[in-house]
Amino acid sequence: MTADPSAPPLIRVRDLCRDYGVSRRREGVRGGVVDLLRPRRETLRAVDRVSFDVAPGEMVGYIGANGAGKSTTIKMLTGILTPTSGTVDVGGLVPWRDRGHYTRHIGAVFGQRTQLWWDLAVVESFRLLQKIYEVPDADYRRQLGRLDELLGLGEFLHQPVRKLSLGQRMRCELAAALLHSPRLLFLDEPTIGLDVVAKESVRTFLRDIRESQGTTVLLTTHDLGDIQQLCRRVIIIDRGRVVYDGDLDGLRDRVGDRVELHVELRTPAASADLAADTAGLPVRWREAAGLQHVADFSRRDIRGAEVIKRVVNARPVLDLRVAEQSIEEIVRGIYRRGDAGDLP
Amino acid sequence: MNGATAPALPRWRRGPAATAGLYLRFMRLAFLKMLAYRLRYYTGVVTYTIFVAGNYFLFTAVYASRPEGAEAARLGGLTLSQMIAYVIVSWVGRSFTFNNIDRTLSWQVSKGEIAVQLIKPLHVQTMMLSEALGEAAFRFLLFTLPILVVVIPLFGLAPPPHPALYGWTLLSFLLALVVNAQINFLVGCLAFHLKNVSGVVRAKMIMMEFLTGVLVPFTFFPDWVQVAVAWLPFQAVSYVPVMIYLGQRPGASLAGALLLQAAWALGLFVLGRWSWNRSVRHVTLQGG
Ligand SMILES: Nc1ncnc2c1ncn2[C@@H]1O[C@H](COP(=O)(O)OP(=O)(O)O)[C@@H](O)[C@H]1O
Ligand SMILES: [Mg+2]
Repeated sequence: MTADPSAPPLIRVRDLCRDYGVSRRREGVRGGVVDLLRPRRETLRAVDRVSFDVAPGEMVGYIGANGAGKSTTIKMLTGILTPTSGTVDVGGLVPWRDRGHYTRHIGAVFGQRTQLWWDLAVVESFRLLQKIYEVPDADYRRQLGRLDELLGLGEFLHQPVRKLSLGQRMRCELAAALLHSPRLLFLDEPTIGLDVVAKESVRTFLRDIRESQGTTVLLTTHDLGDIQQLCRRVIIIDRGRVVYDGDLDGLRDRVGDRVELHVELRTPAASADLAADTAGLPVRWREAAGLQHVADFSRRDIRGAEVIKRVVNARPVLDLRVAEQSIEEIVRGIYRRGDAGDLP
Repeated sequence: MNGATAPALPRWRRGPAATAGLYLRFMRLAFLKMLAYRLRYYTGVVTYTIFVAGNYFLFTAVYASRPEGAEAARLGGLTLSQMIAYVIVSWVGRSFTFNNIDRTLSWQVSKGEIAVQLIKPLHVQTMMLSEALGEAAFRFLLFTLPILVVVIPLFGLAPPPHPALYGWTLLSFLLALVVNAQINFLVGCLAFHLKNVSGVVRAKMIMMEFLTGVLVPFTFFPDWVQVAVAWLPFQAVSYVPVMIYLGQRPGASLAGALLLQAAWALGLFVLGRWSWNRSVRHVTLQGG
């Protein structure tokens, strides 16, 4: 099943804001005493007029640096936190107001927390969840079988949760969040702290789930690998504001137009010499190491072939490599621009 | 924006049978969990015995130091054997009614762990009460009874004036357990509003020893304290069931005493529910 972006949205977020009251510390011992007597209260806007829609079956990456406001948004969408202002409508329910009804339809994984019962065997936790969500026996067995097949839970199903490794636990958390076949799945940093192998298995699993069950997924992460592999659509948030909402390729086209050409020469030359070779072209050269030089230019201005032709004609070249910007650099580029003003 | 109607998520409510089944399951699991940690409670038996012994020797000495005479045989309205019964029943009762809801809940709230409960269709207050009941079942069988087995031969426990009072005492302690759980729940909820709640939790624990009458019988307190305490829920946690055992009927009658406890249990449950809903709505949770 794939998402139909023209379908009416399942999640509708409008002008969502959330403030936190924080006390700012004064400096020094005297400051500490003054803080005790007269704390300096300030409000911090963690989420600032965020609006977006998510269609049923869509998998959306909600990304941003640490402290950007990802978790705060997820908490409001899961009904844990009441917003300062703004609205959220998920299939006709308001998460924080209709929590009793709403929680039946969602699953969530918070990277640093466990929703399993620490002292119980994993399977005992699962049976308890079955009761909590009133999953009929046949459905429960079918779903557990499917999750087991995808996640390989069999080996530790009967161990207490506290004895599991982080990777094993995360697989169990994902299974726990999906046992009741929720319509929506919220994942807050599901791959945090996992090693490469565990990360990969979580990603594969999420891809499978999206395709086989049509679950609508909102995923926060600061690991762009997750996004590259999972989400066609990303929402980038910076200091509480949405700075980009669109597909990944579009993001690359729009801001990821910087190209780096790595050149390894046969004979020594200064960057200035190479700059002279490409005189008239908007290219910046820098020396990387020894005989290696890097040309940095915008795809919007010139084609790589033009630069390559000039260099090869001018001097003997051992090797050439074109490097596109990683998503990470693209996102960093957006942060540098800061304001949402110049982006849609 | 798309004008078509959004796909609706159906509303949903758990039926009474499923609700009972679910919360009974929480009871059972709490019982099993305690069973896994039962070794910890063997040392607890010794601790409680020491507390009882301390009070036993203290009161024996106090009574012995009184001058001869009919009036002197009573202290705070109790004879020595009644006083010893008071000490034993209140400590043994405490071993049954005790729970850590306040500490658990305040920890979960201040660390933000409560989030994982809030995303489930669960009534956290009822869940915690069920767990407390499961824990109490464990405590009764593997903690309270062993303490009785050790303490009775050592210090002697006078029976209640009427055998039926055994049953009423038990019922009264069950109500005491619910009242205690609700007080603890309310204290735990404070963590939603206070930055550092652990001090409050500790202070409450010490205050409870006084205000419930476990440490010193209320009858020793000046009248105005007794009047004040009678208006608080704490006496329903220990003083009331102990007095029922002694046949002293705090308040108007036995039924009145039990009804008062039940009223506190219900009232505090409602207050807890209100406080919980309010706290959750205004909450700021810590952590990613
Ligand atoms: N409970 C809280 N009290 C005060 N400030 C908070 C609280 N939770 C988060 N914040 C602040 O709000 C901002 C956004 O936090 P968060 O949503 O956790 O970001 P992210 O998940 O993107 O790292 C940060 O500046 C953070 O310090
Ligand atoms: Mg976070």
